[in-house]
Amino acid sequence: METMAARPVPDHVPPHMIGAFNLFDAPGMPPTPNGDPQAATAIVHDGPPIFYSPTNTRDGRGTWVITRAKDQRRVLQDPETFSSHRAIFASALGEDWPMIPLELDPPEHGKFRSLLNPLLSPKRVMALETAVRERAAFLIDRIAAAGTSCDVMTDFAFPFAVNIFLRFLGLPDDRLDEFVDWANDLLHGDNRQRPAAARTIIAFIDDLAAQRRKQPVDDFMSFLVQSKVDDRLLNDMEIRGTGVLLFVAGLDTVAAAIGFDLNYLARNPQDQELLRRDPSRIVLAAEEMLRAYPTVQMIRVATKDIDFEGAPIRKGDYVSCATMIANRDPEEFAEPNRIDLAREDNRHTAFAYGPHRCLGSHLARREIVVGLEQWLKRIPTFRIKEGTAPVTYGGHVFGIENLILDWS
Amino acid sequence: MKIIVHKEKCQGHARCWAMAPQIFDLDDEGYIMPGDIDVAEEDERLAWKGAKSCPERALEIQQ
Ligand code: HEM
Ligand code: SF4
Repeated sequence: METMAARPVPDHVPPHMIGAFNLFDAPGMPPTPNGDPQAATAIVHDGPPIFYSPTNTRDGRGTWVITRAKDQRRVLQDPETFSSHRAIFASALGEDWPMIPLELDPPEHGKFRSLLNPLLSPKRVMALETAVRERAAFLIDRIAAAGTSCDVMTDFAFPFAVNIFLRFLGLPDDRLDEFVDWANDLLHGDNRQRPAAARTIIAFIDDLAAQRRKQPVDDFMSFLVQSKVDDRLLNDMEIRGTGVLLFVAGLDTVAAAIGFDLNYLARNPQDQELLRRDPSRIVLAAEEMLRAYPTVQMIRVATKDIDFEGAPIRKGDYVSCATMIANRDPEEFAEPNRIDLAREDNRHTAFAYGPHRCLGSHLARREIVVGLEQWLKRIPTFRIKEGTAPVTYGGHVFGIENLILDWS
Repeated sequence: MKIIVHKEKCQGHARCWAMAPQIFDLDDEGYIMPGDIDVAEEDERLAWKGAKSCPERALEIQQ
């Protein structure tokens, strides 16, 4: 874990609005065996709708924390006041270019979204479904043939997510292991590995773009280098910003979702049997698990001074909308801390609200549903392997480090 | 029953479409088609569920 270089709380924050909770080192947030970091965030619903958390980013910055779902909607639906322009990925390398469309604001944002939306629309994703199912079946059959236990994260969730992404990019599988290593270093590496992996991924995207520009084929990068906004071709930084985002956005998030879901099912054998007996319940169940175990904390930057539910937000302040907090809001979800795989009224925010709504949400949903369906079909009743404990963690993106299941 | 479509609020979650594709039509980018939707009587329950599934509150039910 990083050391937090805590910064002083700004003068405009009234002392009574400072809260102790943050997503990095509050109870349940650091790596914890058998942890449940999403449930641990629900504690904020005993408190006010907004408070100031003095160290709530990886580099120890303070943020306002919005706890109510309806207030998060207000923030995320108002990009004019709450901007996404942060260059988080690039600034870690001492550079300044936005990930696209993630770190752009409207109206610029919409131009790139319109370009990308058709590639990952619900209808387009239906066409990818057979490939997704084959891939899941292949990986799980290999696991089943090898024994009666495995680490879901390294043997299934990660290679599955990376593989679907390679297919989307139009790249062959033979680089799979290399990609998994990059992604692992980037997301879970130390202070040296992370920037090194980031540079490797950037070089890979830049290089692929150069190749496709010379000789276009029928794949995503060729599409990107031939695409136009405002009647001009995308420039190199825009192609890089888009390519890098698509690389990182859909790996850890999908893998973590599958990990948290199988962790839950391993510990709740009745729900596991219910889904195994009646796979048609998986679609609804996956939504409930997305509500209960979402992974992303969104950060926005205030573009002007604004009083928000009594809090004096000032221009430049960070505002945190943590999906796991909104999804446990009792005003929006009946008995939010109970997991009900048949829950119907379930407008959770795992994929955000507002214009930045996850571009990959339709694909991610298919990956999760198909992954669970194939797992339950091919693996008999499973549990956490005795003597092991999955390690969970909070942060900007919540996750689960290992998940050793056993079905002997 | 009628569904008032607040197109400017739609962010393409496609939850309405997932619930009732025959009632809620999406464009090629995956966002709801403009224009309010007249719902036939036999579709009312499904349309209601579809409208209630929109995370952005873009679909308003008018009896
Ligand atoms: C369960 C898996 C996933 C979760 C929980 C998730 C969650 C999110 C969230 C919360 C955001 C909004 C971030 C913000 O507004 O600051 C987002 C944006 C995004 N996601 Fe995902 N995501 C997942 C999978 C994917 C996949 C598979 C892809 C790619 C195919 C993807 C691509 C993107 C992109 C490109 C954006 C930026 C959209 C924009 O800024 O307009 N995501 N995701
Ligand atoms: S559910 Fe709402 S946001 Fe999603 S497509 Fe339908 S109208 Fe649009």
